Amino acid sequence: MPAGRVLGVIAIALAIAVLFNSEAMVRAGEGMQPGTTRDIVLSVARPIDDVAGAIGLHLPREGLDLAFGQEDKTASGTELEEGSTAILRRKTEQQAFRQPTVADPLKVLVTGDSQAEFLGQRLIDQAPEGLLDVTTVARNGTGLTNPAFFNWEINAEQEVADRNPDAVVMAIGDNDGFNVQTADGSLYDPGEEGWETEFARRVAVVASVLSGDGDRPVYWVPPPTARDPEFNDIYASQNRAAERAAQATSSLRYVDIYSTLNRGRYSDTLKIDGKQVLARQPDGVHFTREGAVAPVRLILAAMAEDYPALRGR
Amino acid sequence: MSFPTIEFAAFFLVVFVLSWALMPHPSAWRPFILAASYFFYGWVDWRWVLLLIGSSVVNTVAAQVIARSPSQATRKRALIAAVVFDLGLLAVFKYLGFFVSEMDSALDSIGLGSPLPLVQIVLPIGISFFTFQAISYVVDVYRGVTPATSLVDVAILQAFFPHLVAGPIVRANELLPQLRTPRDPRAVLAGPAIFMIVGGVLKKTVIADELARRVVDPVYNDPSAHSGAELTLAFYAFAGQIYCDFSGYTDMAIGLALLLGYQLPQNFNRPYLALSLRDFWRRWHMTLSRWLRDYLYIPLGGNRKGRLKTYRNLMLTMLLGGLWHGASWTFVLWGGLHGAGLSAERWARERFGGFHLHAWVAWLVTFHVVCIAWVFFRAPDLGTAFDVLGGLGLSGPSPLVTLPLVLLVVAAVGIQALPPGWWREAEAWFVARPVAAQGLAVGAVLVIADAAVGQQGVAPFIYYQF
Repeated sequence: MPAGRVLGVIAIALAIAVLFNSEAMVRAGEGMQPGTTRDIVLSVARPIDDVAGAIGLHLPREGLDLAFGQEDKTASGTELEEGSTAILRRKTEQQAFRQPTVADPLKVLVTGDSQAEFLGQRLIDQAPEGLLDVTTVARNGTGLTNPAFFNWEINAEQEVADRNPDAVVMAIGDNDGFNVQTADGSLYDPGEEGWETEFARRVAVVASVLSGDGDRPVYWVPPPTARDPEFNDIYASQNRAAERAAQATSSLRYVDIYSTLNRGRYSDTLKIDGKQVLARQPDGVHFTREGAVAPVRLILAAMAEDYPALRGR
Repeated sequence: MSFPTIEFAAFFLVVFVLSWALMPHPSAWRPFILAASYFFYGWVDWRWVLLLIGSSVVNTVAAQVIARSPSQATRKRALIAAVVFDLGLLAVFKYLGFFVSEMDSALDSIGLGSPLPLVQIVLPIGISFFTFQAISYVVDVYRGVTPATSLVDVAILQAFFPHLVAGPIVRANELLPQLRTPRDPRAVLAGPAIFMIVGGVLKKTVIADELARRVVDPVYNDPSAHSGAELTLAFYAFAGQIYCDFSGYTDMAIGLALLLGYQLPQNFNRPYLALSLRDFWRRWHMTLSRWLRDYLYIPLGGNRKGRLKTYRNLMLTMLLGGLWHGASWTFVLWGGLHGAGLSAERWARERFGGFHLHAWVAWLVTFHVVCIAWVFFRAPDLGTAFDVLGGLGLSGPSPLVTLPLVLLVVAAVGIQALPPGWWREAEAWFVARPVAAQGLAVGAVLVIADAAVGQQGVAPFIYYQF
């Protein structure tokens, strides 16, 4: 076949894919890190998506999503995007929860971004045997500052409805370098006080959904120290925000791995059980499988405050 | 940059047009395709391109010395220097961290503390592949199988983007002659190319990623939380996942190269139909198998130095083949199981020469040995692997075992039993359709594939980590 004809086939195929997948293309663009590629993808995809939506080209894709069991993870007008900071002025009440036994273990949902993967895996082998039934659902590349790509309020509603856990461990924040817009339209960059307040509000919103308005405890694990100083500052800000949200949100527990591990200083290695282990992956953010034991023990210590039966280690 | 992404689609569209436009001018085409390949490779981290260029320069110089020197001793020294450099790259980037960690543990276990500093090294994507290609190039020049060539040609041989990240492992005498002959823009093998790309996309998104997400990952994350039925499903599901993931990638790589006018060697030939492990290795990751055979097994002596040394050579080849995949005891054990299996088969052939198992029995045994070995390949550590194997017979609730998932596993494995003639007839039918119909069909498949992966996106290919 002549190359020109092949180009025709490729062009038509890509045009079909772009037209019928325009929503997915916008979402993919929203999920990219800020930069030229993201700007290009969004500037092309958004107008196409407007046109495609207007003439009903979204319908086949919606049917396919239904067939493949894909749930929509975005929505407009949610509290995550547009709610008030009044949620940070609530009073907390200490609650008691059902204690786990081997016959009736605690159903724990470990979720969040990619950091959740190893935390979930190691929680299984670090917890006293038989007391936890852990399910890990990591949503890679997601965060709270980019709800147009992935709305954690919507996802939290779907997850707790599907799984009905007794407790939730939420490890998130690695991808939250985006600026945020508040309900009054103000825009804040990471590092600004307004960003931290808005982030705290979003933590409170998602934690409130995950906890079922206080029915179950949520252990919020913001990122640890990072090798990159810029990320490190953002992560410090997120930790302050999560702590603030925890003071205002019933059943939300802030797990401080940032300042506890290695006394708040970044290190590739950590001493675990007297042995030095390579604790971080080459990106200087994620834990290795071996290193994840250290934060998991802090999570278990936090859980043991609510569930004394877990005080075994 | 991964194949099934928006970025790659845009990149390939530009490369496709410019590549065919520049094809009549080799002096312009070669720097162009090299620059495009480096752009592709440096998309994530441009420093890796420097490593790739360094590898090409060293191996080009060594090959030139080998080709030009009249002294056998000099030729041999140049060969050894190049191979040591290539293996040194692998040793530093892939194995140093593992080695130091294991040494540290060993010293600690005999009471000497943890004296070694643990090292954190980023593994450049595809290093195992482009390093093996470099070794095969200098060895082939030394053996006189292929002539030494220019730096640009060697660089394209290593970096040509369709095969750069995860193969197939191409030999110099397969690609270099094609580079020297301009391709004919009126005769693009579009039918097979588009079929392979579309088939690869579907294998990856609809089968491999679905199996990983719905059964393999949950089970291997915590085998103790799953019943024997779920472990059994995951046991077979990973066999289907890794085949569809890796062969899907390879199909896309070969198809993309075909669209640019270049033929890459096949990497799979219906491996799960194999009737012995020897047969399996002639069908699975064929370009790695022949590399191990020609550059490791035969130089070790192959089967020419007696029975015991043949077994030793088989074991060494497969153990190193396992280690090639990753610095971990699980890969070593995976290779060891295959080495032991191949040795056992050889012993049985020699001991019971005239006796043959019924084809069904031979298939069943081979397939299950392969599946058992896959458990070690997939598990994050040996403990998890033994938990999976040990729990296969346990009873318990099995919510993961659903009819659609069982059918998907059957499809992933059973797809290989379809007669190859059907595929060729479908290709011929497709090529005979008008351009618009072809474009519509391919576009529809892309929409389906994107819907299958949903918002979590396409998972990285398994072989990217090697």
